[in-house]
Amino acid sequence: MNLLGDIQHQVIRHLRTLFRIRVWIFINLVQPIIWLVLFTQVFDSLGASFAQQPGLENISYLQFFAPGVVVMTVLFGSAWAGMGLLQDIDMGILSKMLATPVTRASIITSRVIASMVMLVIQALIIFTIAVIMGVDIATGVPGVLFSVVLICLLGLGFAAFSNGLALLFKRPEPLMGVINFVALPTVFLSSTMMPSDLLPGWLNTVRQFNPVDYGVVGVRDLVLHGYVWSDLWLSVLVLAAWAAAGITFGTLMFRAKAE
Amino acid sequence: MSIIETHQLVKVFPGGIRAVDGIDFEVKAGEIFGFLGPNGAGKTTTIKMLNTLIQPTSGAAMVAGFDVVKNPAEVRKRIGYVAQDVGVDEYATGRENLTLYGHFYRLDGPTIKQRVKEIFELLDLTGYEDKRVSTYSGGMRKRLDIAMGLIHRPEVMFLDEPTSGLDPQTRTHVWEHIQNLAKAMGVTIFLTTHYMEEADHLTDRIAIIDLGKIIAMGTPTKLKQSIGGDVVTLSPYETGAEECQEFIRRTQSALSDKPFVLRTQATDGELAVYVNKGESAAPKIMRLLASEGIEVESLSVSRPSLDDVFLKVTGRTIRAQEGTATTYAQIKRKRDRR
Repeated sequence: MNLLGDIQHQVIRHLRTLFRIRVWIFINLVQPIIWLVLFTQVFDSLGASFAQQPGLENISYLQFFAPGVVVMTVLFGSAWAGMGLLQDIDMGILSKMLATPVTRASIITSRVIASMVMLVIQALIIFTIAVIMGVDIATGVPGVLFSVVLICLLGLGFAAFSNGLALLFKRPEPLMGVINFVALPTVFLSSTMMPSDLLPGWLNTVRQFNPVDYGVVGVRDLVLHGYVWSDLWLSVLVLAAWAAAGITFGTLMFRAKAE
Repeated sequence: MSIIETHQLVKVFPGGIRAVDGIDFEVKAGEIFGFLGPNGAGKTTTIKMLNTLIQPTSGAAMVAGFDVVKNPAEVRKRIGYVAQDVGVDEYATGRENLTLYGHFYRLDGPTIKQRVKEIFELLDLTGYEDKRVSTYSGGMRKRLDIAMGLIHRPEVMFLDEPTSGLDPQTRTHVWEHIQNLAKAMGVTIFLTTHYMEEADHLTDRIAIIDLGKIIAMGTPTKLKQSIGGDVVTLSPYETGAEECQEFIRRTQSALSDKPFVLRTQATDGELAVYVNKGESAAPKIMRLLASEGIEVESLSVSRPSLDDVFLKVTGRTIRAQEGTATTYAQIKRKRDRR
């Protein structure tokens, strides 16, 4: 089928591009290690108040934060996904492609899929490093795979929104502005770095509207506590809706703005 | 047989700008047809309607036998598009770029491999197939860009400003390649340009376009013949704006009733005098102006160019609108006006 072939060839192109940028590979390998090693040092002093939290007895900050690192990497990686498309627009590559019989749907789809592939690889690397550093994953390998599904949905939404915004703005500056505006606050307005019981009350309300939080809660359950289905179903549902919203936005922008 | 045909094609952009304002033309199969006009004349907008990238506001266009609005998919299979920007992927090799497009045009692996070889030979890129595009020179990138529009052996190639931004030597080289592939592959070529020499040198037929309308159409030779004779261009000694006006007014009245003068036309601070024989007219003009006490900075005699055709219809020159002053006197005048 033309669509699948088109997606396949373009995914190969996008991944090939990323793997040829050596600095990019280096940074993406080093960054999670820095998060895990340095950040846990910074927050080590929290250990005392940590141990008093219900459900977190005998859990180190490293163990608590590792799922957060996975989700943050996904967030930062996929939020920037639109920059590649912007480059294509700027170079005239997109226009040139649109004058060929290439299936329109494959253009954004292949970009989002390529982002997903990279995210999964990055997530698996982080999980591996975490395990080496002594994190015990409660649900084992099946739990890691479940986590991968959750973060894929989260990343899918961000990547699709990012591509849609790239088409809307057609310039890097506003896209970078939006990403910077959104990325860090969504991390801090969630339980990524702090257990929910240590967060102020209003923040616990706000985080219920934050897709990043559903990713963190789900992955953290799988790593620390096992299959907490009350949390997990909600995470799957919300993240699937988030991904669907992103795809809808991306598709609409493509139809309206691509030329 | 005409392979491109438009009927009252119009494109109005949001904000009411009529970029293309009702154009009709036909391009015959195998022709190299050019759109010549200044920036903003509507050339790129026309190309983008013909290659299905944007929808016309009204009117109709047929490309390779299909309507661009009703049947864009069929049109896309039969055309190649080379945009003004070099749309090649720098992180990929030449072969990878070309192969991706081969897949887009639904060619199978062995065919793609064969065509890559052929096209790289045709465009003089053999040996660079597996080198990254980031190592290519500007001229090589443009050739690869053209190659990507050729892999499926299209019936029509659209080239939007194919040599803009290239140095003069590379430009001549790209011209040769374009002519070559028109001959070798029998592909019809539709190109846009704001370089008169390019239109003159490369095309079989041109349409001169300004403000979204076609103002003249024909072979470059016929269009230039329509001007008749030679052009004597006079520039004034005094460079102030008022002195220029005065110079043009006085010179025009001095020359207006002389039998050897066909026509005069004021342009960007100069006066073009159209005469039958430039060589014998020039001394006569000089004598006449000297007796009237009009001082001339310089005088040049030339064959009419396509810019003279543009000037005749619009009262402006394409050259002046590009903001590139070509003589020292013009540069000086521009400075003085500020």
